[in-house]
Amino acid sequence: MINVKNLKKSFGNNEVLKDISVDVAPQEVVVVIGPSGSGKSTFIRCLNMLENINGGHVMIDGKDLTDKKTNINEVRTDVGMVFQHFNLFPHKTILENITLAPINVRGMKKAEAEEKARVLLAKVGLAEKASAYPESLSGGQKQRVAIARALAMEPKVMLFDEPTSALDPEMVGEVLEVMKQLARDGMTMIVVTHEMGFAREVGDRVIFMDNGYIVEQNEPKALFDAPQHERTKAFLSKVL
Amino acid sequence: MDFRFDIVTDYMPFFLRGMGITIGVSLAGVLIGLILGLIIALGKMSSNKWIRLPFNIYINIFRGTPLLVQLLIIHFGIVPMFMSPSNPLVSLVIGLSLNSAAYIAEIFRAGIQSIDKGQMEAARSLGMTRVQAMKLVILPQAVKRVIPPLGNEFIVLLKESSLGSVLAAPELMYWGRAAAGQYIRVWEPYITVALIYLVLTLSLTYLMNYVERRLSTDDQR
Ligand SMILES: Nc1ncnc2c1ncn2[C@@H]1O[C@H](COP(=O)(O)OP(=O)(O)OP(=O)(O)O)[C@@H](O)[C@H]1O
Ligand SMILES: [Mg+2]
Repeated sequence: MINVKNLKKSFGNNEVLKDISVDVAPQEVVVVIGPSGSGKSTFIRCLNMLENINGGHVMIDGKDLTDKKTNINEVRTDVGMVFQHFNLFPHKTILENITLAPINVRGMKKAEAEEKARVLLAKVGLAEKASAYPESLSGGQKQRVAIARALAMEPKVMLFDEPTSALDPEMVGEVLEVMKQLARDGMTMIVVTHEMGFAREVGDRVIFMDNGYIVEQNEPKALFDAPQHERTKAFLSKVL
Repeated sequence: MDFRFDIVTDYMPFFLRGMGITIGVSLAGVLIGLILGLIIALGKMSSNKWIRLPFNIYINIFRGTPLLVQLLIIHFGIVPMFMSPSNPLVSLVIGLSLNSAAYIAEIFRAGIQSIDKGQMEAARSLGMTRVQAMKLVILPQAVKRVIPPLGNEFIVLLKESSLGSVLAAPELMYWGRAAAGQYIRVWEPYITVALIYLVLTLSLTYLMNYVERRLSTDDQR
């Protein structure tokens, strides 16, 4: 589903991703962990070209993002993204937030888009918030709407960049619950998170990144219980 | 000092007509300035520096030179190339539009760039093109933020339109100077004209405050 080969990315002289290669199978849930500044965000932002790629290849469902002929907007409709700070559209209602892209990008009829949006809202437990505006929602509710908004495009892959890091602790659970359900439904997911419990429970694989490299990757249990590299051990001893 | 109210009453019809023209040219100036300003703002935000360059030059020239100089060049140099005799009202509207476009472009740019960049990223990540994201997500939010500075720009333009008198465009200040010339008096015509400008700008300020209050209550829904 996702094939990353020798991905390189720099900001000026700062080489942030040095040589990343990884394949993600359909329906796989990959959790990315690592210290601050290790390049986790940059990595998943490269997967839908929110960052320009400096070297290597990123293939999404067989389409090479680095190929000039690839229509990046089309690829992005297949890749849902959930941000740390939600990034809901404050001038639109919850329902409009969800239907905006299906109507304008997919060309879906308004009635159909709204019907689908209501189904998604029910799925994330926010059916009654359809006509509210984002600012009246709690952080956890906003993030669930953001997930519904991404799902409305029927993506093949979902990317999450620290979806619970900006939330008050009591709201983390409701968002993780929605993500777990999504994983159970067979969504291919790449999740950057500090929630090791989530990684253990739903992750098929955990990737440990440090300093622009993938240092180590393994099944959650193996990686957490028997890390092979010193840097992984050092990091895990701090967060677990 | 005796204040001759008869001069004021004699000239009132002309002052009122001039006021109408002052409002008209200022309104035309901001409206055309709005359209040009948006284009210039978008051009200046291009990721290609060669596209940005001409828009930058435009803004620097029109903000960096006096409006009076611009008006004289436009009226006596540029407009005569395609219109003879050149009409001072046309020159005035062109000058005000081109000048306000430069200021309005900067207002728009600041407004657009004040929108959190996560908004553009969220829109793009949903598959919207840059243009769709601008139209559906960024501009509707930026509009609220640019209305107060645009109101200011309108007030500035209204006052600066008085420079049209130098071109003999029959706006408010032109009639003030005409009355001053005819009666060889200073206080009556200029005080009257000043008061009319004051009424116009204060009404506008009041209107802007009202709009701002409305927008800020909208925010709290
Ligand atoms: N737009 C940018 N311009 C310049 N440098 C950047 C930019 N974005 C990220 N960086 C740099 O790239 C490096 C990696 O950043 P990145 O955000 O990918 O790290 P991260 O692993 O997500 O960290 P965190 O856990 O703090 O979110 C950092 O050194 C950061 O300063
Ligand atoms: Mg990050």
